[in-house]
Amino acid sequence: MPRKRRLRPLSWLRPGTRGAALAAVVLATAILACLLVPLLWPLDQSAVALDRINQPPTWTHPAGTDDLGRDVAHRTLYGLRVSLLIGAVAALVATLIGGAVGAVAGTVGGWTDRILMRIVDTVAALPHLLLGIFIVAMLRPSLGAVILSIGLTHWLSTARIVRAELLSLRTRPFIDAAISGGASRVRVLTRHLLPHVLPRMALATTLMVPHAVWHETALSFLGLGLPPHLASLGNMINDGQRSLLTGAWWASLTPGLAIVVVTLAIAAVAAHWRDRLDPRVRAELQL
Amino acid sequence: MTAALTIDGLNVRFRLRDATVHAVTDLSLTLHRGELLAVVGESGCGKSVLAHAVLDLLPANAATTGTVQFGAGSRPVRELRGRHIGLIPQSPATALTPVRTGRSLLAETLRVHGRATTDADTVAAEAGLDPADLDRYPFQLSGGMAQRLATALAIAPDPAVLLADEPTAGLDRPLVDHTLDLLRRRCAAGTAVMLITHDLTAAQRVADTVAVMYASRIVEHRPADEFFTAPHHPYAAALLDSLPDRAFQPIPGHPPMLTDLPAGCAFAPRCPHASPDCAAQPAISDGAACHHPLSVVGAP
Amino acid sequence: MSARRTVGRRLLVAVPVLAATSMGMFALGAASPYDPAEQYAGAAAFTATDENLAQLRANWGVDDPLPVQYWRWITNLVQGDLGWSITRHEPVTSVIAARAGWTLLLVGAALALVLVASLLLGTVAAYRRGGWLDRGLRAAAYAVEAMPVFWLALAAITVFALVLGWFPAGGLTDIAADGVHAGDVAHHLILPITVLAVSQAPWFLLFVRDSVADSLRDDHVLAARGRGLPGRTVLFGHALRTALLPFLTLIGTHLPELVGGAVLVETVFSLPGLGAVTVQAALGSDFPLLAAITLVTTAVVLTANLLTDLAYTAADPRVRLDG
Repeated sequence: MPRKRRLRPLSWLRPGTRGAALAAVVLATAILACLLVPLLWPLDQSAVALDRINQPPTWTHPAGTDDLGRDVAHRTLYGLRVSLLIGAVAALVATLIGGAVGAVAGTVGGWTDRILMRIVDTVAALPHLLLGIFIVAMLRPSLGAVILSIGLTHWLSTARIVRAELLSLRTRPFIDAAISGGASRVRVLTRHLLPHVLPRMALATTLMVPHAVWHETALSFLGLGLPPHLASLGNMINDGQRSLLTGAWWASLTPGLAIVVVTLAIAAVAAHWRDRLDPRVRAELQL
Repeated sequence: MTAALTIDGLNVRFRLRDATVHAVTDLSLTLHRGELLAVVGESGCGKSVLAHAVLDLLPANAATTGTVQFGAGSRPVRELRGRHIGLIPQSPATALTPVRTGRSLLAETLRVHGRATTDADTVAAEAGLDPADLDRYPFQLSGGMAQRLATALAIAPDPAVLLADEPTAGLDRPLVDHTLDLLRRRCAAGTAVMLITHDLTAAQRVADTVAVMYASRIVEHRPADEFFTAPHHPYAAALLDSLPDRAFQPIPGHPPMLTDLPAGCAFAPRCPHASPDCAAQPAISDGAACHHPLSVVGAP
Repeated sequence: MSARRTVGRRLLVAVPVLAATSMGMFALGAASPYDPAEQYAGAAAFTATDENLAQLRANWGVDDPLPVQYWRWITNLVQGDLGWSITRHEPVTSVIAARAGWTLLLVGAALALVLVASLLLGTVAAYRRGGWLDRGLRAAAYAVEAMPVFWLALAAITVFALVLGWFPAGGLTDIAADGVHAGDVAHHLILPITVLAVSQAPWFLLFVRDSVADSLRDDHVLAARGRGLPGRTVLFGHALRTALLPFLTLIGTHLPELVGGAVLVETVFSLPGLGAVTVQAALGSDFPLLAAITLVTTAVVLTANLLTDLAYTAADPRVRLDG
């Protein structure tokens, strides 16, 4: 039976260099904006302006205002800031868990490896949004609960990547050469294994960020993420749902677009990065 | 003799991301009814591409020019596959649909070409396959059995032209002989056979004519008995000399990359007889494309 | 590997994983800052006497050691007693029984739709790869992949319910309806089912497209073409049959995504399925209901996974007959 591929949705993106460069610029701009916005354009999270509720996009409010008169563009920047922060931290947590499991499976091998990988396959079959909801509900919706719920449900792909990488490295001659040359275990690990595994782990972490962002926005959207008055992308789309029925479609449009654009940009950059790590030439013909 | 297959000015190019592969260049040949032509050459010279080009089975990034004509007709190849021209594919293990039994594949081919599916056993027996083995799946067959099944599938529609792409690769001697005898029998029945192989011994055993391919071109194309006694092209001679029962001398150097072929004779860099003339592409004369054919060089 | 071995091997891992999950959930529930007795008493907790609360706690065995509580909970669960929902004030079994059907309908219909559509479109795109349909579908798939399903649902409501007015924006039946009629329900479900299907489509579509495109260059497909078989026979009898075998297992591994999507879609369209009640239970920290829904869903998904594995084993002679 072929090994099951749990298809990460973004693994299919394979843009060219020009696309990757554009994506990198978009991503850098988004990150920079998120970093600078508290300095340049601070937001009072609890402020409302009931004199300008549900206004369509104008020059002063380029993305319109929501049903409490708050500027959608401004809050989207803040929401993106929160989402990317949570996404990055949660992806790191997931990478640490997955990296540890993958490292044990890939170095110990044998039965340990088989059992660990079977567990990974089975955990992959658990409905992770439901588990996430459960974790958040029992810990009270909060930043920590959201991060923990993502970390505990998203470590599988990293475990697989690290394990596969270590297994393939074990069969390479330079490892044998290093060991027979008298290098210590620690030296083999730090000098030979880590330099190969770390870039791939970093790549897996990067690819994890959009998934973490989706998970976070989904929880927030359900009212189980960040406190409702805080500007987060999920909260904003949830707020926008109320305005939608009065015809104010713009309140949830912009935060959603932010997710889409950042996701695509991360995916494109990561795909280019992966292609550079593994230059698999697709030989279309056999001569 | 009537021509069963006429190839005229065939060129095949593959566009890759940053290079062009010249797989077949200016190739012309005629294959007659009842003739067994062996196309020989080292791996990577374009032999297999030739078979796929004749059958119009090349991938989308291939650009083909020139004409391929079967008999006197002018119908497109795609309507003639199977019934008029059959292919015994390279590596039968992967060429058989893995999830279907041999019988299901053979019956399907027979049905599509208007023959009774009950003929399956006869066809299998003709290819040397025990009819009982037809009920196995390809992964349950040994390499030799898979080869015979692939052969049975190719001869099932009784094609007028048969392309055999390395049909003896990976087989042991008795199976090689069996396969070659089968091809010979088809020829006797009037089929034109093109045997593509790197096995010169096999070619010597059965071929009527031999075409040597080197770096995408045919460099020598002559009757087999003349070729094996006195090759004209230095490459053909070197190829024969590399046989264990002859000089057992490997050819020095490496064949050129098909992405980067020299302007003149592609063998010149490895050729002991090369001269400044060889910077120009030699035309085929007297069955060989060489400025210094051996019969002349060797003459006093 | 025989079917029995597949089942055995799966169960060997699935049962411990389920047990570990339930233990983890129970521990988390016990560690949570919510006291079930106080929750049950609800607003009355402020006025309820300590005696009443103590009685409640004794009835539920809240003060027993954790392993004892866990064992009681899990044995009840296995025997079909899923407990008492704190937020809905009714047995968890009846909450699930009343709603699971709608969720199954939504998930099942969306899965059927996405399978048919992705098989059809993916194959056509692979057959004419590089063409306008192929390019358009792939671009759309990448874009949809990046969209959160709840946002997609809101967009669909905006366009098809609010602007065009073709479908209702939510609910299962018309407000004026005097009961549940199939036509009315279907009209209400078209949009949610389509949204769920579209949101899941990219994975399936791109998988079909890529594996069929790859398999069209496979040796055995070239050989089938070389035998002069008609295009349709080559496609269905040779290319699809091998390309789509892994698709069976893909359906199984993809179910968790589908369940998550269903929770969100049900919430957006205010459908009376398990999704909405899950969120309600989560907001009310209703451990019995939430834990039951999570565990039951997990068990269903694991079973479905097992079934697709069995189907794969049956469909691929290489697995069926090997050993």
